[in-house]
Amino acid sequence: MPSRSRGWLAVGAVLAAGLVLAFLIDERYHHRVLTLVFLWATMGLAWNIISGYAGQISFGHQVFFGIGAYVTVLLVVKAGLTPWIGMGVAVAAAVLAAVLIGLPTFRLAGIYFGLATLAYPLIFRIVMDWLGYQEVAIPMKRDDPGWFMQFTEPRSFVLLALGVLGATLVLSRAIETSRLGYRLRAIRENEQAAEAMGVNAFRGKMAAYMLSATPAAVAGAVYIHAILFIVTPDAVFGLLVISQTLVVCMVGGTGTLWGPLIGAALMVPVSEILDSTVGDRLPGIQGVVYGAALVVITLYAPEGLYWRVRHALRARADRAAAVGRPPILAPADEDGARPGAGPVLLEVRGVSKAFLGLQALSEVSFEVREREILGVIGPNGAGKTTLFNVLNGFLGPEAGEVRLLGEAVTGLRPSECCRRGMGRTFQVVRTFPRFTVLENVMVGGFVRERRVGRVRELALAALAQVGMAERADALPGGLTTLELRLMELARCLATSPRVVLLDEPLAGLSADGVDVMIAMIRRVRNAGITVVIIEHTMQALLRLADRLVVLDQGRRLAEGPPGEVTRQPAVIEAYLGKRWLARAGSPS
Amino acid sequence: MRSLARMLAVSLALLLAVGSVYVRPAPAADDVKIALVAPLSGRWARQGQLKKMGADMAIEEINAQGGIKALGGAKLVLREADAGDSVEKAVSAAQRVLTREKISAGIGSWLSSFTLGVTEVAERLQVPWLSLSYADSITERGFKYTFQTSPVSSLQAEQALELVTDLAKKNKRPIKKAAIVGDNTAASMFFYKPLREKLLAAKGIELVVDDVWTPPLADATAIVQKLRSAQPDIVFYGATNFPDSIQVLQKVKEFGVKSPIQGVGAWLVTPEYVKTVGKETLDNIQTVVATHPMKGQEELVKKFVQRTGEPFMTQDPLCTYGHVWLIKEAIEQAKSADPKAIRDALAKIDLQSGPAANSFYPPRIKFDERGRRIGAIPLIVQWQGGEPFTVVPTAVATRPVASHK
Amino acid sequence: MAELVQYVATGLLVGGVYALMSIGLALIFGVMRVVNFAQGDFMMLGMYLTYFYAISGRVDPLLGALLSIPPFFVLGWLVHRGILARVTGGDPARQHDAQLIVTLGLSLVITNATTMILTPTPRGIPTSYATQAFAVGPVLLNQARSYAFAMALVLAAAVYLFLTRTDVGKALRAAADDPEAAGYQGIDVRAMHALAFGTGIALVAAAGGLLATYYPIEPTVAGNFIVLMFVAVVLGGLGSIPGAFVGGLVIGLVQSLTLLVLPFQLQNTGVFIAFLLVLYLRPQGLFGRRLRAV
Repeated sequence: MPSRSRGWLAVGAVLAAGLVLAFLIDERYHHRVLTLVFLWATMGLAWNIISGYAGQISFGHQVFFGIGAYVTVLLVVKAGLTPWIGMGVAVAAAVLAAVLIGLPTFRLAGIYFGLATLAYPLIFRIVMDWLGYQEVAIPMKRDDPGWFMQFTEPRSFVLLALGVLGATLVLSRAIETSRLGYRLRAIRENEQAAEAMGVNAFRGKMAAYMLSATPAAVAGAVYIHAILFIVTPDAVFGLLVISQTLVVCMVGGTGTLWGPLIGAALMVPVSEILDSTVGDRLPGIQGVVYGAALVVITLYAPEGLYWRVRHALRARADRAAAVGRPPILAPADEDGARPGAGPVLLEVRGVSKAFLGLQALSEVSFEVREREILGVIGPNGAGKTTLFNVLNGFLGPEAGEVRLLGEAVTGLRPSECCRRGMGRTFQVVRTFPRFTVLENVMVGGFVRERRVGRVRELALAALAQVGMAERADALPGGLTTLELRLMELARCLATSPRVVLLDEPLAGLSADGVDVMIAMIRRVRNAGITVVIIEHTMQALLRLADRLVVLDQGRRLAEGPPGEVTRQPAVIEAYLGKRWLARAGSPS
Repeated sequence: MRSLARMLAVSLALLLAVGSVYVRPAPAADDVKIALVAPLSGRWARQGQLKKMGADMAIEEINAQGGIKALGGAKLVLREADAGDSVEKAVSAAQRVLTREKISAGIGSWLSSFTLGVTEVAERLQVPWLSLSYADSITERGFKYTFQTSPVSSLQAEQALELVTDLAKKNKRPIKKAAIVGDNTAASMFFYKPLREKLLAAKGIELVVDDVWTPPLADATAIVQKLRSAQPDIVFYGATNFPDSIQVLQKVKEFGVKSPIQGVGAWLVTPEYVKTVGKETLDNIQTVVATHPMKGQEELVKKFVQRTGEPFMTQDPLCTYGHVWLIKEAIEQAKSADPKAIRDALAKIDLQSGPAANSFYPPRIKFDERGRRIGAIPLIVQWQGGEPFTVVPTAVATRPVASHK
Repeated sequence: MAELVQYVATGLLVGGVYALMSIGLALIFGVMRVVNFAQGDFMMLGMYLTYFYAISGRVDPLLGALLSIPPFFVLGWLVHRGILARVTGGDPARQHDAQLIVTLGLSLVITNATTMILTPTPRGIPTSYATQAFAVGPVLLNQARSYAFAMALVLAAAVYLFLTRTDVGKALRAAADDPEAAGYQGIDVRAMHALAFGTGIALVAAAGGLLATYYPIEPTVAGNFIVLMFVAVVLGGLGSIPGAFVGGLVIGLVQSLTLLVLPFQLQNTGVFIAFLLVLYLRPQGLFGRRLRAV
């Protein structure tokens, strides 16, 4: 991410360039093309808020574009209301529509969400035809053209579109650099991890959807007045609108405000140049060449031109930086003072959970005391991860209760559990792959703090705590397993948890790695944070845990200090008998 | 990746090369340029092509006769711009063609929504524009540069109803029950509306089926079943989307529906109907059109068929043919290629003969203050033996009406 | 009562061809996770091929539809090798975007090139059975649609058997479920993708051929069907072949039965509303498997 002021400067520079262009250009047709570039960039930026930042690809975003267009025009036609005010009404209508569409539709994930959104504009299109609004022309107001957005000077439309674009750029930039922006991108990168880090994914998506409906509606209203002069259902709710939006965004690159800008600045003029050079002479050829250009550009830059160039530059820098990174060493053991266990922090009572008739957990109960390290062991399929998922809210139990600090947290969203002090890591590390290590950790930091600068410091401190300070600017893709697990731990610590749930933090680590991790976990506990840890490597847990809970086939088999538990016949029979002996010989 | 980059570069180079090859030859300075903005690619490309055929033909004729006499024999040149398949593209095309060069007058753009957008541009740039689109709204905006030669939809409905009820009376089969079946595109809706609201009732005709769909039509069974059981004496039929219309006509044949079909628009008389449903199915189907080759235009049709390979001539090419001639006459009267002067000439023009006037009915071109052709009435065309003929009004009919069996 | 039966029969017949159109798309999505916007355009090409078989070779279009399977399989294979293989197969989460635009570009190229080469003039294959019906009691079944329905059923069954009974089919499904694991088992995932894409294109081309027995052919015909195909595939559960088939039938039925309750103009809103309802009640579609939460 470029530094804050540099980003704002760049936005300013783009707007200044637009302004200069508007006055350099003299031909009406060129003014029109410029207006189109600005409007499609705006529509792309609108789409980018929900689909780029938050990663919820929407195939129905033209619904807001169309609402903006129709509401504004119908207000002019039926009530004689100026579009300047009408646009405000249109934005309100679009935001309301976003809420009404979002409420049911955000239950759907991934491509299902995208394809479901497609239905709404198509319904609107049919209904508009049915209502008799096949072609609504804007009545010409010769007396007061400016008040009715009917400028005779085409430059006025360029400036209007530029103003809309500028406002949308500012909005996008504000989102990108705010807590919301980090959270949206975290949702995109990994929704579960984001939830576990205190991000309420539903609320985040809804906010993004409402924010993105706004510029789309304004773009629709201006588009009709500046470009079409009439509104038809197909022209604003049709598939051409969304395909143009997708092209602009994906050619340029999604998830950054520069993407739609680059996409629109490239593809709109290309299309118009094709129309005006070859298209009028050999109709159809412009479509062939434009389509082929899309294919070729996508093959060259599947992630979009902006990211292609950025990655190319970044890879060079990374190669230079990768040289001579010191290995992470285990910190000196601070085991000296094992703090005594405190009062009960987390209470699990009679928790049961079944999948498709298979009982994953049955009536599991245990307690976690403050500042202890509790190990949960059991063979594969014993229900350990399911237990964690119930504890931090990914799954709702059929029966039983989870209490944190005496308050029931059963049935709360993971983000709410996190806000109440429950941190979580995953068996397979869940990173936000396009975030740097620092940004990954920052997502956790936003739970308790809104200011980005402050969160950055918090995250750096958390990284330093696990010995990862020097990796802050790396991308997760280039990290070792140990570094990834430490990063996840730091991210979890950044949420300032009371208790952390660590899901097999030692899996896949070398012997040295295990030592580092164990030392770090001790350090976490010594800082006053309670640790619940899942493992199936008994050895490590014997070194680390104060107490053990043994699960087998979804039941709690035993509970107590490691020494005692390992001596219980039931445990030896069910679990240790074969497996521990077998595992003891193999490197873990 | 490197090879991809090269691919990209090569494609861009090719693009530029293609672009430069197609740069137009510069016309002589005193040529008079007319714009044709019509869909030449995309969903409506066929209609655009037909329009272009008519325009090309008129331009060739005019230039062969010595061009524009008032301007010392200046040649007419057509500048076509592709309106594509969206209003945005259509308006862009108009903007492009009108600002790139000095255009004296324009024609287009077939679809009424395109025409509405395109005429906005023409109005702002003060270039006279001729349209065949039927929609009333085109000439309801107080524009000074828009001229509509077709009778508007609402009048078409009235006049068409007059014509068909007269015809029915003559055949001693008075119309008692009517059906409206078709899609909800703007032009069709403008036609149905007065029928439903007053015209049918005024004639004492009962509306027994009123089924309007949003294209594309999934299946015509339900509609045609209703027609079969209601047995209307006339079906006002507006299926402008070709596949929809084919499905309805196939179903009409399958179910043996005998009610006479009265189409609303020229879309029902294109040559592709013959190849798709066969001439037997089409026989006696009628439609209302803005214009169609009339008695006395046999030579014209022959020439058109020879040049284009089309089996017959229809409204779209005939209209543009007439429009180009009309522009030529206006330029002669204005003695200038200046668009404003041509506009003034068009506003005053009163043509009663010649290729322009003869392309429309009645053969007189005079516009009222809104830009509508005074006295314009539609024609009725009927399929007979796989070819559509003008049958009403009888004065210009090329065939007598064949009555329904 | 007879009227209702007629509505149901009509709906099912209409749905049969939607069903065949959709299983190709479902196969491609299921195996490759590619949302292929160009699917409808391949269908259009299939209609043209069947047309040319019928016009120049006097091949009955029902047979022509079958004969278009091999060339379109090859075409699909080539398109995959030449273009799609470059943007698929990697990290699935990140490449959806690229595929969308590639297939959108392909769609533009195919439609416009067809318009230029074959002209925009609509064509039709005049068949006797397009305007004849089987009478089953009071219910009329259009012959062309009945034949198309029967062939769609046969082809869909063949695909289903291929996927469940043959080794190649099983490998294909393994590659769809977990490309990584399939790779470890020695399955050539790339070849499986090419196979899926080729088959998916061949199926939709055959569906086009069947459609051409009663529906006119024009370069932009895809626009009338592409949305319905997507709806059918999602309705059935993305990637599920039986699901897509049932999804197609459901759409036909809903279109037909909607007429009993809604104005004709709103016919397709019935489809979209049914689509949204199914998704809200069963987010994974009718036949889809629910994804594990974590």
